[in-house]
Amino acid sequence: MTSDLIQIVSILAAAIAVSFGAIGPALAEGRAVAAAMDAIARQPEAAGTLSRTLFVGLAMIETMAIYTLVIALLVLFANPFV
Amino acid sequence: MENPLSMHALFHIGPVPITEPVVVTWGIMLFLGLGSAWATRRLTMVPGKLQAVLEMFVTVIDDQIRDTMQRDPSPFRVLIGTIFLYVFIANSSAIIPGIEPPTAMIETDAALALIVLAATIFYGIRYQGLRGYLSAFAEPSWVMIPLNVIEQITRTFSLIVRLFGNVMSGVFVVGIILSLAGFLVPIPLMALDLLTGTVQAYIFAILATVFIGAAMGEH
Amino acid sequence: MTIDWWTLGLQAVNAFVLLWILSHFLFRPVADMIAKRQEAATKELDAAHAARTEAEAALTDAKAQVDAVVAKRAGMLEQAQSEAERDRQKALDAARREADKLRTDARAEAARRKAAAEAGMRTEASELALNIAGRLLDRLPASARAAGFIDGLAEAVARLPQSTRDGIGTEGPVPVRAAVELSGDELEALNARLAQVLGRGVALSVTVDPSLIAGLELDAPHAIVRNHFRADLDRVQEELFRDV
Repeated sequence: MTSDLIQIVSILAAAIAVSFGAIGPALAEGRAVAAAMDAIARQPEAAGTLSRTLFVGLAMIETMAIYTLVIALLVLFANPFV
Repeated sequence: MENPLSMHALFHIGPVPITEPVVVTWGIMLFLGLGSAWATRRLTMVPGKLQAVLEMFVTVIDDQIRDTMQRDPSPFRVLIGTIFLYVFIANSSAIIPGIEPPTAMIETDAALALIVLAATIFYGIRYQGLRGYLSAFAEPSWVMIPLNVIEQITRTFSLIVRLFGNVMSGVFVVGIILSLAGFLVPIPLMALDLLTGTVQAYIFAILATVFIGAAMGEH
Repeated sequence: MTIDWWTLGLQAVNAFVLLWILSHFLFRPVADMIAKRQEAATKELDAAHAARTEAEAALTDAKAQVDAVVAKRAGMLEQAQSEAERDRQKALDAARREADKLRTDARAEAARRKAAAEAGMRTEASELALNIAGRLLDRLPASARAAGFIDGLAEAVARLPQSTRDGIGTEGPVPVRAAVELSGDELEALNARLAQVLGRGVALSVTVDPSLIAGLELDAPHAIVRNHFRADLDRVQEELFRDV
C-alpha cells in the first residue's frame, strides 16, 4: 500500500512538474518570438542573424522545460523511494 | 514501458561492460574517420564540390570561434569542431532504426562536458598562468569565490543535462508515440528531433567556446 | 538512477580518440589547404599588385614620352611658323623695297621726262620767241637793229666800275659784236658815245653775229657788256627756268 501511494504521488509530482515547468518556457518563448518578429520587421536586413540568435535562445529556454522533464522522468523511473 | 535512463551491457571485455552508447560511438568514430580520410584524400588548390563543403565547414567553425572569442581560432578549431561533429552525428543517428543516440545516455554527455571542463581549465591556466586563472575566481571580490566555483560546476552540469534531456526526451517521446501509433505518425517528431539535435550540437559547441574563452580572460 | 562509470570513461576515451582522428584526417589537412590557398592568393595578389605598379609606371613613362613628343612637335611647329613668318616678312620687305624702288624710279623717270619735255617746250618757246623777234625786227629797218642799242650800250658801260672802264681798250681794239653790219654813221655814233662815256677814244673791232638778233655786245677785259635781244631773251628764259 505504501509503495502504491509512493507511485501515485510520484506520477502526480511528475505531471505537476511538467505542466508547471512548461508554463514559464512557453511564456518566455512567446515573448522571445514576438520580440524577434518585431526586430525583423524593423530591420529586415538583419533577419539572418536575428533568426539564428532566436533559435539558439529558444533552445536555451526550452532547456528549462527539459529540466522539468528530466526531473519528472527521474521521479518516474529512477525514484529513490520506490 | 522500458526505463529510458537504464542501460544494459551488450557484452563484456574482461571486467569492462561494453554498453550500447560505446558501441554506437565506435561506429560513429569509424564513420567519421573513414569518411574524413576519404574526403581529404585528394585536396587540391582548386577545390571540388566536396572540398568546397569541407572548407566551408572549417571556415564557418573558425568564424564562429573568432566571433565568440575574439581570438585566433586555430588552437580551438579541432576541439570545437570535433564536439560539434560528434554531437551532431550522434543526435542524427536516431533516424537509423534500432540505434539509440549515444547522447541520449547521460554518460556520453557527461564525458563530453567533462572534456569541456578540462579544456576550460587547461586553456585558462595556459593563457593566464595558474595564479592568474585562480585569481580570476576572486573577481570582482573574494566573496565571489564560492559562487564562481559553484558556477563552474553548475554550468558543466547544465551542459550535461541540457543535451541529455533534449535528446533523451526526443527519443522517449518518439518511443511513446511508436507504442501508440507506429506508422508515419512519429515522422514529424523525428524531424523535430533532427532539428533539435542540430541546434543542441551548435549550442553545445558555442557554449564550450564561450566557457573556454571566458576562462582565458581578456586579451 | 545510476551512472555507469565504465561507460563514462570509455566515452571520454572515445571522445579523445575521435579528437585525434578528426584532427589528423579532417581539420588539419583542410585548414592547411585553406592556409596554403590564402598564401597563394596573397602571393598572387602581391604579384598582381607589383605588375600593376609596373604597368602604371610604364603608363606614366609612355605619357611622359607622349608629352615630350607633343611639346617637341609644338616647338617645331612654332619654330617653323616663326621661320615662315620671318621669310614672309623678308619677302614682303623685299617686295616693298622693290616696289618703292620701282615707284621712285618711275617718279624720277616721270620727273625727268617732264623736265625734258618742259625744257624742250621752253627751248621751243624761246626759239619761237627768237623767230618772232627776228621776224618782227626784219620788218624794222636794219639800223634799228644796231643804232637803237648804242645809247643803251654806252649807259651800260658807264655803269661799269671805274677800274673796268679803265681797262677797256688798253689791250688792243675792243671787240664789239653786232647783229648786223654797222653802217659808217652808226660806227661813228658808237665811237662817239663810247668816247664820251670812257673819256677817251678806243679802237673798235666790229664783228657781225646774226645770232644776237638785234643789238650790240662789248667785250671788256673783265666784263662783257651785253645790250641785245639775245641776252634779253636768254634772261627771260632763265627767269622762266628759275620759276620752275
